[in-house]
Amino acid sequence: MSSLSMEWHKLLPLHRTSRTVAVAIGLAVVVSAVVAAAMAGSAAHMSAVERGRFDSIGTSLQGINAAVLAVGVFGVLCITREYATGMITTTFLAQPARLRVLAAKLGTHSAVACIAAAGACAAAYAVGQALLGTAGLSVGWGAHNLARALGAGALYLVLICVWGVAIGALTRSSASAITWLASLLVVAPVIVQILPESVVHLVGRWLPSQVGMQAIAGHSDPHSFAPWTGLAVLTGYVAATLVAGAWRMVRVDP
Amino acid sequence: MIEVRSLTKRFRGCPAVEDLSFDVRPGAVTGFLGPNGSGKTTTARMILGLTDPDAGTATIAGRRYRDLAHPLREIGALINPGAVDPARSALDHLRWLAAANRIPVGRAELVLGQVGLDAVGGRRVGAFSLGMRQRLGIAAALIGDPPVLLLDEPINGLDPEGIHWIRTFMRSLADEGRTVFVSSHLMSEMALTAHELVVIGRGRLIAAESMASFTARVDSSVRVRTPQLDVLAAALEQEGATLWRSGDALDVVGMPIEQVGSVAARVGAVLYELSPQQASLEAAFMHLTAQSCEYTAAVEAA
Repeated sequence: MSSLSMEWHKLLPLHRTSRTVAVAIGLAVVVSAVVAAAMAGSAAHMSAVERGRFDSIGTSLQGINAAVLAVGVFGVLCITREYATGMITTTFLAQPARLRVLAAKLGTHSAVACIAAAGACAAAYAVGQALLGTAGLSVGWGAHNLARALGAGALYLVLICVWGVAIGALTRSSASAITWLASLLVVAPVIVQILPESVVHLVGRWLPSQVGMQAIAGHSDPHSFAPWTGLAVLTGYVAATLVAGAWRMVRVDP
Repeated sequence: MIEVRSLTKRFRGCPAVEDLSFDVRPGAVTGFLGPNGSGKTTTARMILGLTDPDAGTATIAGRRYRDLAHPLREIGALINPGAVDPARSALDHLRWLAAANRIPVGRAELVLGQVGLDAVGGRRVGAFSLGMRQRLGIAAALIGDPPVLLLDEPINGLDPEGIHWIRTFMRSLADEGRTVFVSSHLMSEMALTAHELVVIGRGRLIAAESMASFTARVDSSVRVRTPQLDVLAAALEQEGATLWRSGDALDVVGMPIEQVGSVAARVGAVLYELSPQQASLEAAFMHLTAQSCEYTAAVEAA
């Protein structure tokens, strides 16, 4: 319990913490607004079939794909900043059980990520729906699959924050951890896109970004994992990285 | 009380600390001396559970650091004054440390006052000078009011006023019955501060005794200058003396001055000088660590 208290006391006075929540929500709202406004603008050219297939929920939640970087970096920095400044030795002096330190960091940071995730999902959806509503494309708060999309979207954000912590523990360097995170979330899907379609269908579903897209989608995609299956796969990635990060934290002295 | 028993650590096969054993007792300032790279910091890190020893144990009041439930209340350590998040204020830094070991948060202000930083408690640590960080590090060591203190090079970066302050401060902590273990490369400073000494070289123990008996080791040193240096050196070594060559002179340890004179007469050496040497911590240190000084070894090899 005192480890948790230690990590809370580290987090609370820092502007970085409140900034992360603000940036995550801000990014989600802005990107959702831009995407929703663009869709609303082209709604006049949509056929009835296209309107029927239109994913109003997924479009409104597009901003989650931007918010994910904010929470991921937040997770990374909680470990790498301590290694960069040397504060990690002070932390280990206060709490020599290193796994407890890691667990406390995971607990506090995923709690903050939960707040950011809930805020980002709700705000992005509200703004997205308002803009789509101008073109008659909104589905409102009672839509089928909405609860799942909001819940799975928020869980996706929290998982990426935990992944950030794990990658941070493994690399101990802000630059390389953020590079890894950005490669996995942003660069990997771009690379996969240029591959032949058969390969895209085979490999695409395993991408973390694809898991995220399915988590927030209102409709399912035959070439992707179902939302919860995808999140289970992502949990597997996170768990494996976390085991490796914890091993390095315990075995390799700072 | 710190007890170190047969502590051994190798880095990639290179021995950093070898079979090191010593005690640090309460109620005294114990100086930890050794040349650069002799294993002081490695030893301190092993005592603090930051580095795993390959063999042996280091305990604080009979328990290993990692077995202490609230280590900051048992032992306060200053190991790297830079080990602070520069974005945090001094008070915030002390408060999270207090929270980590269930120490009343009010102690943060108290220890900040003890080290003379009460006026800047709300300032970001990033704006602190090295001397201020050093004081903050000492405040952090005191946060849990621990009976044992381990300070690695606490004088670094302090101005003369700060040095005077820490000298009297360490002595007063020892007078309160605490165990104060302080490493330094500044001999003159240790000579003024420490009651006891632990001296290491190349990771091995050279001496663990009182300051008085350590400096007494060189009381018996005798300086001889002679043109027949090699002849005399060989004769003295045969008689069991330990020699230390400095330029054209020999420093003879472990042999009374009368006997050195007799040996010189027997081998017919012309003497330019035969004099007893003043005891100083520095001299004792140089004599005892000469063989183990990595820098000297490197120069000789070149």
